[in-house]
Amino acid sequence: MAIQKTLCKKVLPLAILFTLLISNLFAQKIVRYDLYVKDTIINFTGKAKRAIAVNGQIPMPTLTFTEGDTAEIYVHNEMNEETSLHWHGLFLPNKEDGVPNLTQMPIKPHTTHIYRFPIIQNGTHWYHSHSGLQEQIGMYGNFVMLKKTNDPTFRKGIDDLPTVPILLSEWTNIKPENIHRMLHNANDYPALKKNAVQSYGEAIKVGHFKTKLKNEWKRMLAMDVSDVYYDKILMNGKPSTDLTRIEGKQLKGGDKVRLRISNGGASSYFWLTYAGGKITVVANDGNDVEPVEVDRLIIAVSETYDVVVTIPAENTAFEFLATTEDRTNSASYYIGNGIKQLVSPQPRLKYFEGMKMMNDMMKMNGDLDDMGMNMSLNQMDMNVVMYPEITGDAKPKQDDKDPNRYNANALADIVTLNYAMLRSPINTALPKDAPVKELKFTLTGNMNRYVWSLDNKVVSEADKILIKKGENIRIVIYNNSMMRHPMHLHGHDFRLLNGQGDNAPLKNIVDIMPMETDTLEFNANVEGDWFFHCHILYHMMSGMGRVFTYENQAANPLIPNPKLAQRKLFADDRKMHFMSQNDFATNGNDGEMMLQNTRWSIGSEWRLGYHDMHGYETETHIGRYLGKMQWLMPFVGFDWRYRKMGIDEQEKNLFGQTNTKDNRAVLSLGVNYTLPMLVRFQTEIFTDGIVRLQLMREDIPVTKRLRFAFMVNTDKEYMAGLNYIFNRNFSLRTHYDSDMGFGAGLTFSY
Amino acid sequence: MKSIILLAAVVLLSTTACQSQINNAKTETVKVYGNCGMCETTIEKAANKKKISKADWNEETKMASITYDSKKTTLDAVLKNIALAGYDNQSFLAPDAAYDKLPGCCKYDREKKQVAIVTQPAKDTTKPMQNHGSHQHDGMNNTSQETNQLTVVFDTYFALKDALVKTDGNTASAKAKDLETAINAVKMDKLPMNVHTVWMKVLNDLKEDAEHINGTKDISHQRDHFMSLSKNMYELIKVAKPAETVYYQFCPMANDGKGANWLSKESGVKNPYYGSQMLTCGKTVETIKQ
Repeated sequence: MAIQKTLCKKVLPLAILFTLLISNLFAQKIVRYDLYVKDTIINFTGKAKRAIAVNGQIPMPTLTFTEGDTAEIYVHNEMNEETSLHWHGLFLPNKEDGVPNLTQMPIKPHTTHIYRFPIIQNGTHWYHSHSGLQEQIGMYGNFVMLKKTNDPTFRKGIDDLPTVPILLSEWTNIKPENIHRMLHNANDYPALKKNAVQSYGEAIKVGHFKTKLKNEWKRMLAMDVSDVYYDKILMNGKPSTDLTRIEGKQLKGGDKVRLRISNGGASSYFWLTYAGGKITVVANDGNDVEPVEVDRLIIAVSETYDVVVTIPAENTAFEFLATTEDRTNSASYYIGNGIKQLVSPQPRLKYFEGMKMMNDMMKMNGDLDDMGMNMSLNQMDMNVVMYPEITGDAKPKQDDKDPNRYNANALADIVTLNYAMLRSPINTALPKDAPVKELKFTLTGNMNRYVWSLDNKVVSEADKILIKKGENIRIVIYNNSMMRHPMHLHGHDFRLLNGQGDNAPLKNIVDIMPMETDTLEFNANVEGDWFFHCHILYHMMSGMGRVFTYENQAANPLIPNPKLAQRKLFADDRKMHFMSQNDFATNGNDGEMMLQNTRWSIGSEWRLGYHDMHGYETETHIGRYLGKMQWLMPFVGFDWRYRKMGIDEQEKNLFGQTNTKDNRAVLSLGVNYTLPMLVRFQTEIFTDGIVRLQLMREDIPVTKRLRFAFMVNTDKEYMAGLNYIFNRNFSLRTHYDSDMGFGAGLTFSY
Repeated sequence: MKSIILLAAVVLLSTTACQSQINNAKTETVKVYGNCGMCETTIEKAANKKKISKADWNEETKMASITYDSKKTTLDAVLKNIALAGYDNQSFLAPDAAYDKLPGCCKYDREKKQVAIVTQPAKDTTKPMQNHGSHQHDGMNNTSQETNQLTVVFDTYFALKDALVKTDGNTASAKAKDLETAINAVKMDKLPMNVHTVWMKVLNDLKEDAEHINGTKDISHQRDHFMSLSKNMYELIKVAKPAETVYYQFCPMANDGKGANWLSKESGVKNPYYGSQMLTCGKTVETIKQ
């Protein structure tokens, strides 16, 4: 005993001294950055537009740390609006996560907020604003965390290569708020800009009339692989960059270069291709993977990939090309010195092949049918039917039974990366003895009304998902919507179960294509409210997400009033979107105005003649969309009409009910239903007992710019018209109306 | 008098309007590689953008005079479009696929294109530099030269096979031409004895098949000759030993159900006899290691 005591006495002070020494040796280095967020005017296309710059630049400055540092980031909001910064893919305390109204209150105008957290991981990440649509107009930046040089996972020949961080992004001259509004109103202007209207005329020209007909029969509007048209694609803020030297060292033939690529685009996926041969993928979402050589890869919105490329010849710069998934635009990095070797551009999509494929997959009730293919991990890409570089320029002649008919790597001799090829160099298995909680989500959506949700519920309609600290959470996600979604989890990396066993790769984004099912799992180890959402900005703002929250967790000191915060968070997807249009025609004014959100619609239509004989008429409907596909909308309405002896003196309707009042004001109850061929069928009963049935469609795409409209109802009223679209606000319209006769005019739409 | 001035003014205005279809016009003369009149059409079409840019290419001097609106575009943007159409120029090299697609008469010499010093990026890191001591070619031993000789033959064969996989008769024909050149370049007295014997045996057939494939753009005719070409190539590669593992593959449906073979560098089946119609039909029957 005595010996023990003395030992204690002697050893203890020594031990204390030793720990002090060690902590001094590994003293945490504090790395401070000051970020000044400011409004700016930028000119990418010849037009000066508003953007947000941080420290005077777009993208925001690259922040670099080494694992073990402590980050101290001062955000000085010098704008007149609120902001926030989210550190994408980082492990940090919940209150530093940067989601306004969830993990902190927004950073008020002209105030400073300090983010302070230890850097406990390494890899390629990025950061961006999580407030509104600020990410679209400049608030994105590289965030690089280096390995310590003595890190056991340090990979010679990879981690010591000359390295360049590259942030991909897009630029549009249209205000993002306006883009969001137009998306919700199915404005086809982006399709026009991209030459992807897919009208009947174009369909007939390429022998796909039946395809188009079937598509509309199944109530689908023409689809594209992406929704937004962008004027410019940027890599580190520029459409084209010459990379001739790295850290002062001139690049030459034979050199290898590591690119840390983050996709900071708000809604664009990018194809990455290289003129100098194969691309070696060495990390994904900030986590090392075993090197895999590919000819090309697609990077989902907000994903990161580290790739190594070689400069294969002297006196030549090789193009590294990022092309939007819809192939309308691209940006280039020229790596090396000398004449520039270009890479083949990605050929234009075969839209009607895509439409045909969607027809086959879509059931009449709007569900998707994978025909027993059990798709996952991007291995089968339905879109290959649209890729000329895989399926050839002509119409495909494959057998419908070929199990590989959507497998790009089996169909062509170019290798495309898919998730099944990613393998972690380390064992990533979760703790074996932890309880498992399994969650299932179905990604749901409705392109026509731009509603995106999980299990047909948006953020404001769903409860937070309670999980327990220590649990292993397993999530099975099925995509039953027609678009792909990059699902992002805050604060944790998850294992994507991809057939690599214990070496499943760690990720924080999983891109799920239509009809795919993916399984991911993570150990719940950091308390807080963590957002899990689709990273396409406009999908997120429409409410496509959930919040994970830990049971019995401590309150967040940065959220003093949780109720208020929640209300503000929910306001994002509850937002009403406004649209209006008016036809200034020779025979009167025809127009409508609408306010809509996820479920509700308040709309008013009018027909105003220029004199009493033609009459004045308005109809107002307040309705709620029902069901996942939102084909059904019951509504209450109010009609008012004043007319003195119209051209069409018909006062008796099809049912023999008479209506002689020229001054009529009635309430109504009715229902709208979208029929196959996208025809809107309306049944309405008025307080004066009159019943009206009506069929109508206004946007039949005859050619790229020409739309046909018709309406007919049981009041023996009818209308037919043609619309020629000039641009997103103006079109030329001519129509014949049973009340007001023939007219021509200019239509203004907003 | 007044009317004359007016007339003069109108004439003056209209002529300037005619001349300056491109505003802020800037003209530069740059080198664009090409061969013939057909090249001229393609180059000028690629450079032509209404009211923004146009080019006039001279077949003799290979110089293009490019006029562009300096506020709306740049010389490089115009040159990039020319390169994407298949034509190397002072700033850009055309993508290989675009060059390969050019008609035979337009295939100019690619002077600017550098020989790749790195062909196998992944394997270079693991392999130590060979022959580091002597930098002179003479210092290399004979074996490596022999392998080099036949490696070119094999590589052009693989390129030809890839063209057939893509059902691309034009490229196949061009690659067969390369194969002929490669075959003729082989100095058979430098080949080891056993390889020499096989070489002598298959040489004439190899040449004949290559000539036939080169002489036509008809894919089915090319494929017929590719069967015997592949068979002879297989005999050759068996004794010569390839630089890396090669797979001997077989499709039972080709040759009217009698089956046919081919060689590939990849283990996965990409059928050169059917292309995308039945791309994955077939299996590996033998693996030939180095």
